[in-house]
Amino acid sequence: MYIIVVGGGKVGYYLSKTLLSEGHEVLILEKDAKKCEAITEELGSVIVRGDGCEARTLADAGTERADMLIAVTNEDEDNLVACQVAKYKFKVPRTIARINNPKNERIFKKLGIDVTVSSTNLILEHIEEEVPTHPLVHLLTLKGGSLEIVEVKIPQNSSVAGKRMKEIDLPPGSVICLMIGKWGAQVPSGDTILEAEAQVIAVTRPEAEEALRAALTGS
Amino acid sequence: MEVTKVLVPVNGERVDEEVIKLACTIARRRKGKVYVVYVIQVKRALPLDAEIESETQKGEKILKRAERIAGELDYQVETELLQAREVGPALVDEAVERGVDLILMGINYKKRFGEFNLGSTVPYVLKNAPCRVLLWREPIE
Repeated sequence: MYIIVVGGGKVGYYLSKTLLSEGHEVLILEKDAKKCEAITEELGSVIVRGDGCEARTLADAGTERADMLIAVTNEDEDNLVACQVAKYKFKVPRTIARINNPKNERIFKKLGIDVTVSSTNLILEHIEEEVPTHPLVHLLTLKGGSLEIVEVKIPQNSSVAGKRMKEIDLPPGSVICLMIGKWGAQVPSGDTILEAEAQVIAVTRPEAEEALRAALTGS
Repeated sequence: MEVTKVLVPVNGERVDEEVIKLACTIARRRKGKVYVVYVIQVKRALPLDAEIESETQKGEKILKRAERIAGELDYQVETELLQAREVGPALVDEAVERGVDLILMGINYKKRFGEFNLGSTVPYVLKNAPCRVLLWREPIE
């Protein structure tokens, strides 16, 4: 697979090194001459000095035949432009952008970037998993971000604890898939009683997340 | 200087003749081998193994001329056509692969922006080749 990586910083360097070790043809585009020199010393002639946002540079890099373009610079704007030019001018089948400000994730999706990776969000998710300070924890994002799997812990004093599932008013599009209580894991039915301190695994839409949390924690 | 394997990159310029002759003279002392290579530089827009007919024909012609020049000295050379993204790394890789003792490069006196300029291949080979490198520069015209 021919993969173009825009940005030769730490992320771009280690990403390219891994992709090369997997046998892919990789080309890094980097503006900074010193970084280019350092990467050439380390990885050989897999880097071209130039601006990955410019159509000319991308054309010289053979973007037309690229299977994938990954933009991992420190600037969200540059990552967006590089991916858009690659996608719409050079018809690259898959574009992946690194997002530094999580607020930009939705804009990137709307503008047609195939995959976005937000390091801030990834770290936050890990923190939530390891140190659950919030009753709702993201476990997985599905369907390109339109659905997510979350875990909710039912608090001891929750108004829904002891109620049957069918009595709980869940937001539209939200489904409870699993309840892990003191008797183990079970797929809940309408008559299953929601135990206090149980962990509930649910599928929901990002916009309904807060309503689901409120419905299950009773706050 | 004991040399048994010499690598000579050629590019079709007049200087090729001098360096091929010199390589044969050096190698003859120890009945050594001379490898003459021409590197086709493939643009990123094409896959590395793309067949570029015009370049291949040009390379073959240059290598045939190299064989003829060596033949005039009653010496046989091995020729090879390489395809690479950049010439410098291709030459160093070839030198390592063949275990040569010497890379013999010929260049013309060239100026860029009014200053003498070595280009990018020669400095790369001088910096990275594990073996001896001999640089032959043509006189200033």
